[in-house]
Amino acid sequence: MAGFILKRLVQSVFVMLAVAFLAFSLFTFVGDPISQMTGVETSLQDQARLREELGLNDPFVVQFMRFTGDMLQGDFGYSFRTREPIGAMLLSRLPATLELGVVALVISLVVGIPAGIYTALRPRGLVSQSILIGTLIGVSIPTFVIGILLIFLFGVQLGWLPTFGRGGTVQIGWWRSSLFTGDGWRSLVLPSLTLGLFQLTLTMRLVRAQMMEVMRTDHIRFAIARGVPWRSIRYRHALSNTLIPVITIIGLQFGGVIAFSIVTESVFQWPGMGLLFLESIRFVDIPVMSVYLVVIAFFFVVINLLVDLLYVAIDPRLRVRESA
Amino acid sequence: MFRTTLPTAALALSIALLSATPIAAETFRWAGTTDPQTMDPHAVNAAPVLSFLNNVYEGLVRRGPDMNEEPSLATAWEALPDGAGWRFTLRQGVTFHDGAAFNADDVIFSYQRAASEASDVRSWFASVTDVVRVDDYTVDFLTSAPNPLFPGSIANFLIIDADWAVANGAELPARDAENFATRNANGTGPFVLAARDPGIETRLVPNAGWWDNAAHNVTEAVFTPIGNPATGLAALLSGEIDLISPIPLQDVAQVEGRAGFKVQAGLETRVIVLGFGHDHDTLKYSDETDANPFRDPRVRLAVAQAIDVDTIDRVIMRGAAEPASQLLPAGLSGYSDQHADRPAFDPDGAKTLLAEAGFADGFSFGLMCPNDRYINDEAVCRAVASMLARVGIDAKVNAMPVRGYWDELRAGNFDMYLLGWSPGTFDAEHPIRFLAHSRTERLGTWNFGGYSSARIDALLAPIQQEIDPNARQAMLDEAAGILQDDVAYVPLYTEPLIWAMKDSVNVVQRPDNFFMLRWVSVN
Repeated sequence: MAGFILKRLVQSVFVMLAVAFLAFSLFTFVGDPISQMTGVETSLQDQARLREELGLNDPFVVQFMRFTGDMLQGDFGYSFRTREPIGAMLLSRLPATLELGVVALVISLVVGIPAGIYTALRPRGLVSQSILIGTLIGVSIPTFVIGILLIFLFGVQLGWLPTFGRGGTVQIGWWRSSLFTGDGWRSLVLPSLTLGLFQLTLTMRLVRAQMMEVMRTDHIRFAIARGVPWRSIRYRHALSNTLIPVITIIGLQFGGVIAFSIVTESVFQWPGMGLLFLESIRFVDIPVMSVYLVVIAFFFVVINLLVDLLYVAIDPRLRVRESA
Repeated sequence: MFRTTLPTAALALSIALLSATPIAAETFRWAGTTDPQTMDPHAVNAAPVLSFLNNVYEGLVRRGPDMNEEPSLATAWEALPDGAGWRFTLRQGVTFHDGAAFNADDVIFSYQRAASEASDVRSWFASVTDVVRVDDYTVDFLTSAPNPLFPGSIANFLIIDADWAVANGAELPARDAENFATRNANGTGPFVLAARDPGIETRLVPNAGWWDNAAHNVTEAVFTPIGNPATGLAALLSGEIDLISPIPLQDVAQVEGRAGFKVQAGLETRVIVLGFGHDHDTLKYSDETDANPFRDPRVRLAVAQAIDVDTIDRVIMRGAAEPASQLLPAGLSGYSDQHADRPAFDPDGAKTLLAEAGFADGFSFGLMCPNDRYINDEAVCRAVASMLARVGIDAKVNAMPVRGYWDELRAGNFDMYLLGWSPGTFDAEHPIRFLAHSRTERLGTWNFGGYSSARIDALLAPIQQEIDPNARQAMLDEAAGILQDDVAYVPLYTEPLIWAMKDSVNVVQRPDNFFMLRWVSVN
């Protein structure tokens, strides 16, 4: 087990290095940070001096080595745009993104799993068909359009919910939370619905397909033949077998929720890491963009690692293969 | 339009503001697309920063509603004999937000800070050789040559408290790592920085001890950056914010169609022009690369005649722009009234000119264009391309985000390009210095096409130094004439300024697009 974890950890380091390298090399094509940092009246000499001071004239390899070296020492550098330390910048934006992601995930599970079970057990019912068609339309419309539609319906026309931002927040240590005020929750509704809709559809369809398949397996048929009560068959025997692959997929998808909250955050001016990333692209803030991507890669790596470990814990066959 | 209606409207409004008894207002919330990157008045020479900080800090000179220079921290200024520089008499009894008194030491400290290598505004002081303290409330700025425009050119030179900056380790503007002045401020302005959350929200409260009479009735002002235009519009229409600037032209009808909201439109000081690769030997993006037709002034004139600016204004800018004839809008100081006409729209004349120049069969070329910098910039380029196609020249439009655009232009990767220019000093000398003078390390730095005229180069220094307004205007008229005869650029139009707000909000829209809270009143 320890060997397995160690192996995965070493792999993870290489994954992150590769991401850092790709990110860094891509960003050299994004644009010129100097022309974004200086005013129109700044002379070419002053621009050149700034370029030299920031080390932008150094060869790509040198810049990359410096970046990774600093990162390894925990020095994330400073933003070109605001001159803030990037570590603190990302940390201050992290709670917003995580809270949005978690609430979106919870919505997708709380609605998606029961809806999946229902549509699996009554595949031909009118309600099932409308749920399926409705969610299909939902995922087919791009996220930003859904967001704008929700904003104009609930924010502008009905005036029920705020259109942007996090609303009232509470500071708990360095963590700024919108989960403890009514205003904060009202602000969370629309963005988390927007972000969670795709997840919801995915979860629902996955549960539905798995459930229908499990219901056809031999042990369920046998249980039916034995006269085990329907309730027990469905919710004890079938559901538990259904959920194992579902949990895996959902775990992996959570990384995606965090990474792809960029669009939702931009539509709702939600002050998370995704919005920060977009602002950084606009200003060619290369250090912030690079660190952001490495952090996102880190999320994926950690989540993958946890899922792998869960696999080993759940599935006895994997443990046997490891020890063999 | 600019010349007549705007200052008059602004004046009328400011009179209205002064005479109306302010009613107690609540928190005023406004939004813009860009967050000011820093609260440091000398670190970044960018409009979002200077516009915001002009509410918190003040300069020696400030600009009124119609851009006129008026006393601020200096009560008076006069030229020193023999053009040696300028003497500023400072206002007495002014205090910074933390209660410290303002005097000559703060001015000298701020000058040293703003002219340092770590500053992004040091180009304002290119002509300054020294700053001398005469007494506690008199300061001399010595210049290397007579500089009649100097007081106006430092209207955005904001004064910071010397002791406060030194005590907090902010002697110099932050270059790589932030310092205390990046998020905190101690100015003398009408508003005090109460809370700063970069990229999220910035709160200002009125300065109770401000030296001037406050014409606003704001008790607290909150700025939120909203990058997505649709989100910004929704935030306004839902009532969560009181004002947003700018809004896209296509949303104007939406706002005006709703009860309780209004759009305030004016003209900005930015002129949109087309530039040419004057010093390119061949076209870079042509199928016939044997020569560069744009080196021939007849071809450039043909381009100017082929473009129907009125149609661009009507269709793409929805009538909000104003056709331009020079590198600065009509009405600004130094504008040449003699050269107020732009070449008439004349496609047949353009075809004749092209034939005379030997390009009767036309040619193809690359038109570079930003797609997120100016109002509907890419659409304008496509319209220009289709108009040029009608006289037989085929423009291939290459539109890109502005973050990579200047790099491409500096590298010479264009045959023709679109550029917007807002003269930072609001004087005709500014575009000559940056766009028309031959390219050197310090001059002509935005003259991407390498236009060069010996006469323009020779005129720049006398224009900068001439004290007599008539003699100066004569030189500016000559320069404007040369630029028009050479068709160095094709000026298209002056960009509009479009703000949307609740009906209850009254503001003054200054042509430099600065948002001054001191003129806001909420009913």
